[in-house]
This record gives sequence, C-alpha cells and structure tokens, in this order.
Amino acid sequence: MNTRRDFLKAGLALGATYPLLSVRGLLAAAPVPPAAPPAGQPILVAVRDGSRAAMLDRAMAELGGMAAFVRPGQTVVIKPNISFDTPPERGSNTHPELLRRVVTLCFAAGAKSVSIFDHTLDPWQRAYAASGAGQVAKETGAQLVPGNDASYYREVAIPGGVVLRSARVHSLVLESDVWLNVPVLKDHGGAQMTAAMKNLMGVVWDRRFYHRNDLHQCIADFLTWRKPALNILDAYHPMVRNGPHGRSEADLVEMRSLLVSTDSVALDAAAARMLGLTPATVRYIKIAADMNLGTMDLDQVDIRRIKLG
Amino acid sequence: MANRGLKLLRAGVALVVGATLTAALIDFRSLLPASVGRWLASIQFIPSAVALVTGASLSLACVVILAVTLTAGRVYCSAICPLGILQDVIARLIAWVRRQRRFLPFAPPARRLRWFIFWATVGGVAAGWAGLTLLLADPYSNFGRIAGDIFRPVVILANNAAAGLGRLAGVGTLYRVEPSWAGTGALLEPALLLGLLVVLVAWRGRIYCNTLCPVGTLLGWIGRRAAFRLTIDAGSCTKCIECLQVCKAQCIDLRRRTIDVSRCVACYNCLGACPNGGIRHRFAWTRRPSPRPAAPPVRAAAAAVADPQRRAFLADAAVALAAVVSGPGLRAQAAAALAPAVPEISAAICPPGAVSVDRFLARCTACHLCVTACPTQVLRPAGWEYGIAGLMKPRLDFARAACTYTCRSCTEVCPDGALDRLDLADKQVTRIGQAHLELDRCIVKTKGTDCAACSEQCPTQAVTTVPYGQNLRLPRLDPELCTGCGGCESACPVLPTKAISVTGLRRHGRARRAADSKAAAPVPAGGFPF
Repeated sequence: MNTRRDFLKAGLALGATYPLLSVRGLLAAAPVPPAAPPAGQPILVAVRDGSRAAMLDRAMAELGGMAAFVRPGQTVVIKPNISFDTPPERGSNTHPELLRRVVTLCFAAGAKSVSIFDHTLDPWQRAYAASGAGQVAKETGAQLVPGNDASYYREVAIPGGVVLRSARVHSLVLESDVWLNVPVLKDHGGAQMTAAMKNLMGVVWDRRFYHRNDLHQCIADFLTWRKPALNILDAYHPMVRNGPHGRSEADLVEMRSLLVSTDSVALDAAAARMLGLTPATVRYIKIAADMNLGTMDLDQVDIRRIKLG
Repeated sequence: MANRGLKLLRAGVALVVGATLTAALIDFRSLLPASVGRWLASIQFIPSAVALVTGASLSLACVVILAVTLTAGRVYCSAICPLGILQDVIARLIAWVRRQRRFLPFAPPARRLRWFIFWATVGGVAAGWAGLTLLLADPYSNFGRIAGDIFRPVVILANNAAAGLGRLAGVGTLYRVEPSWAGTGALLEPALLLGLLVVLVAWRGRIYCNTLCPVGTLLGWIGRRAAFRLTIDAGSCTKCIECLQVCKAQCIDLRRRTIDVSRCVACYNCLGACPNGGIRHRFAWTRRPSPRPAAPPVRAAAAAVADPQRRAFLADAAVALAAVVSGPGLRAQAAAALAPAVPEISAAICPPGAVSVDRFLARCTACHLCVTACPTQVLRPAGWEYGIAGLMKPRLDFARAACTYTCRSCTEVCPDGALDRLDLADKQVTRIGQAHLELDRCIVKTKGTDCAACSEQCPTQAVTTVPYGQNLRLPRLDPELCTGCGGCESACPVLPTKAISVTGLRRHGRARRAADSKAAAPVPAGGFPF
C-alpha cells in the first residue's frame, strides 16, 4: 500500500532534479525552474488568471511535469467531478478544457491508457455527455468507463477508518497504476464545500453509508485507505452557493484559479479559503488533519502562488 | 409472379415496422431518436383513435386505417399491427421447431365470442372505463408490454453477459444496464398474453386476431364490405388446397370456394400459392346496388333498411360511438364540478405532460413506450397504486430513481396523447408532485451529523440547507420551487421511512422559477486568500 506513496515521493524528488524532460509542451510554459520544497512540507501550487490549460501547464511545471507522476507504459485513471447533467458553463462539473489538458499531459508522459469515470448523481450517459467529458474522451483517446454499475466495484478493507471500515471501490482505482483526482470547487449544502476529498466519494459504490454514518468522518476515513497521486482543482468559476447542484450560472463567481497538490487536505484547506471559509470549520478537513492525513495549516505548506498574464 | 409481389410487400413492411418498433421498445441505450418509436406507435389504430377522439391531436392514422380497410381489407392486421406481426414470427418459430408448417383447415368463425368481446369493449369505453378497456383491447399496447416488459429485460440480460465477456477481453463498447422488470402484477398480463399467443398460434393460427381482438373484429366488419376483396375464381380453382396450406386465418372455405374476408388478415400468402392464379382482388362494390359502403358506417345505416340485424347493429354502434365520445367528457365535467379547490393528492405520481391523473388514466393504453424511453427507469408500470383503472400504467417510483430535470423523453414518445409533448422549459416547471420534509426523521436532527443528500439532488434547489446546531446544515424546503421530481426522496438515506418524500398531485401544477441575482464574491477578487 505504501508503494504508491513511495513512488510519488520518488517521483517528486525526481521531478525536482530532472524536470520537464518528456513533456515538450511544458517547456515554454515553465519560465521559472522548480524550486526544491523545504523538507517535509507539502507543495501546493496555486495559479491564477490564465486559461485552464495554461494554468495547469504552469502548475505541473512547478511539480516537475506530469512525467513526475505518470511513467511511460502506466495506466492512469482520472476521477473528475462529472456528476451532473449540466453544461460546462454551469460549473457543476470539472470543466472539459481542464480535463482535456490533463488527459493530454498523461498521454504525453507516455501513459499506456487513460480512463475517466465518475459515479454520477444524474444518469451517467447524460452527465458524461453534458459535462463535455464524452467529447474529451473522443478527442483524446481516453476511455470513458461507467461508474453507475455495481459490478465495477470491489470491496476493500479500510483498516484506518473510524466509521468507514470497508467500502466498494471502483475497480479502475484498484487496477490503474496512477490515480488522478480532478475535482471542481463548489459550495456544498451538506459537506459545506466540495473539492478534493469530497470528490473521492465518487469512487465508492454505497454513498448512502456516508450520509447515514457521519458524512465528514467517512470522507476523511476514505483517505486512510489510499490517496490519489495528485489533486488538480478546477477553481475557475467556483459555485459559491446552491451547491453542489447549483441552480443557474448566477451561482458562480469567476476566480480564474487552479490549485494542484499531492496533499488533499492542504488543497481543501486552501480551497476553503477561496470560498471564504475557515478550513478548521469544515469538519472533514479538520478530521483529516487530526488523523494526520495531510496538512490543514497552510503555514506549514509550501505554497507556490503564481499569477499568469 | 405478380401474385407473390403483394405478399413480399406485406412481409417487407411488416418486417420493417415490427423490427423497428421492437427495437424502439428495447432500446436501452437510447440509440434511436424518440421520433422513431413515437411515429410507429402513432400510426397504430387505437392510439391514433384515442388521440383523435380525445382531441389530443389531429391523429388521422385511424381514419386512414379505416379507409384502407374499406378499400382493400385488413391490411393493418398483417403489415402494421405489431401483435399480428409477432404472431407471424411465433408461427415461423413454431414451424422451425417442428420442422414443418402446420396445416390449418377452414374453420367456421366464432361469431358470438367475437362480437361479445367487441361489444364488451365498446360497452367498457361507453361506461367511462376507456382507460382500462382499451389497454386490454389494443393489440399495439399489448405488444408494447410484451416487448417492453419481457423482451427488453431479456435482451438487457444478454447485453450484460456480453458486456461482461467484453470487459474480460478488454473491449469497452458494451456496458451493463440494470434490467428493469415490471412488478409481478404488471408483468403477469404480458407474460400470460405471450403464453396465450404461443398456444393459440400453434393451435389455430391467427385466431387471436380473428376472435379475441376487438380491433380485428371492427376491421373485419369493415373489410367484409371492402371495395376490393380477395375472391376465389371458381373457374380456375381445382380445390388443390395449396391456398389452405398457407392460410393462417382459417378463412378459406374451399367447399364453397369462398373467403371469409372478415377474418382474412391480408397476408396474401394464398395469392402466390395458387398454381392457377385463381385468388385475386376483385372490385366488389359493383355487384350490389346498395348499400354503398363508401359512406361511413353510420350513414350507411339509412341505406341498409332491408337488413334489420344490420340496422340494430348500426344503431348500437351509433349509440356506442356517441357514448365513447361524450362519456369520458361528461365524467370529466362532473368530476371537475365536484373537485375541491385545493389540489388533491394522488397515491401514484403520473408523468409530466399528463396534466391530471384523471385525464392520464382515461387516455393511456399502457403501451410502455414511455417506460422504456425513461433513462432512469423511474417510470414503472403501476400495480394498484392508481386503482384498477391504472393497472400497468406508468407511474414514477422514487424508491430508487428520480425524474431527470433535463429529460422529457416520456412526453416525446406518447402516441395516445396521454402525455402532452412538453418542451424542456415547460417540463422544468411542471409540478407532478410535492415534496414534504419531515425534519424529525432527518439524519441531521436524529444523529446530529451532516447529510443533505436531498439538497444535493434537487435541480431547482427547492431543498437547500440552513445552518443548524453545532456547525450543521439542516434541509429546508421551499414548496413553491418544487417540481416533484423525486430527487430528494430517492437520495434520502433514512430508513425505513424517508425523511423527505413526494406526494402525487391529482392535477399537475406549475412550480415557480427562482430568479437569482448574481452571487457575491466570497473573498476579494484578484489575489490568493491564503
């Protein structure tokens, strides 16, 4: 279970010393050579004021490129938030422009295959199509895999969980070499906000268990099982109210931002701030920090603040 | 060879109609446009007649079918009616299993049973039970239930098996779909009918169409008076029984060299079978000076003075027709007069576009085209939820699924006019039910933990959350915004009785559309708030 984390650490270290070798497109977008993180501090890259693709390119350059996370021949699974049958401009789903760039970078890094799935709230065929993920898959050669079919899910034990001691997890997450979490930042009526950690509810079959048994604790518990290799948060126009469904485009506020981190808790803490929340008041962030699943205290995070254009 | 042409044409049309309609009813991946199923359903006799008589649409297919029947006999029964086509398929399968075609000799018509069923149907409609009577009488709707409730899940199971194998082989073009079996009660009728059809076809060919089907009886009665009727040319007939070998309607009486056109389903098998070309259409209206059946049946009554039996029949028919047209209308008026001002509650929730449960039950013939078009399978055939008049008719079952806000598939396919065709903006404010929130059962209150599964699903945000207790968020309902889509109910994790549930409305209403002003930025624009 630790091999992934070890690999990531190795990848990060490798990325710091051996940057940008295989992703040609990134060279131009990386004017600043990546700095080595202070020992023990997680890195959080926060980019503003560019297109989603440009911000991602810049953020990845900071982290040593996608090659630091995806090695040639590996299989990649991307878990975006594409849960709703709403168009990209409604902000309920991860934007297809960002998704497209993530897939492209994975393939450029030599990924053997890239799969995309979500356990959607709306009918999955409609949500996949409306979110633009279907179009992205068609254009990039990524595979869209259903997430609304119990036969894809396999039971795993979560020994570190306090309430969530086991869950049925999508087999793509179990079988792929690299797992990327690509959520969208939104207000959330129940969890208060949704970004990285909340998005991982969508790799689990029985979400009702969460709702019935302390939502916040379950969200944090799941992270004890496994963490995604990287979290890429679409905060271009976050939904600041009526989330996570949203009612209209009036619910969005344009912030033109993108957050990237391997630390889900640090990323969610920064995301909370963007919604005007104190991270410690979002209970699942607090619980996850208390369980040492990441860093909630942003002073302890190596934040790279980057403004484009 | 020209004699074979008609049969090939009939078989070709039947193949296209039957295969396409079956595909539309089985289409669990929504590959066919809604218009395909709707169109093929709209050209069926009963749905078209229901839509026309109720004023739902100017659906003239039934008039065309009557006119064609009056011209050339029961062309509908072999080329267009899917239940007739299904029986031909069953007959072929039986012949294939037995490795020989069964010889069905001439049999006299079961006139009494035939007309009893016909008048029972007319009586049922006249008594205001059109919804239930036509549901049983309509061969198309019966086929819809057989294809939608039996064939479809079977095909889905096969698809799932194939998808499983495909996944092992690394092919991802197929995916699994949850087969939606109708409840036992609703499955019983199509299953019994399918079994009955197999037995009847094996035993007596198209006896269902010739005896049990009231549409067949009506069209047979008209077909007997058709301008062009199939007749046996006594001069060329050698009684070689080649025609009998291929007739599935048992309507060729070689002893008298006559064809009972009222039972002939116009399959045209005999035309090609006759070695002497002795069976052909003959213009029959020249023989007798009266009646002139070019006129509609009611006007023909005046001409048919000589035949008291016929006169009685036609008088009955006129009364029945008047009753059919006015009965449901009068009932609806009476109901409207008695209806209280507040919207009544319905135990079952009927689909958007239905306008009211009463109108819906009067028009719907339960063909299940909408049930099979529904992407979430929230539409399911009812058991007793509507009462007896609503048996097998679609209702929304929010136990596992909800009505998708951006979908209007059911309203797009309905051939009966039971569901108005709504555009999406209209559908999104159509209130089919009303959510009720029981906060004392809500997890946020009972357990003191966050949930908001209901609000998460609510497309209009009629359910939102408000701060509650120690850093919790409690659902709050704005009833005016609720469309009754059931998102909240289907998502609510409370067991066994949900904390939020939707009650059906006897008359559908309209939800208010929230007009939102632009959200305020939670943090100053420009920098990073961390």
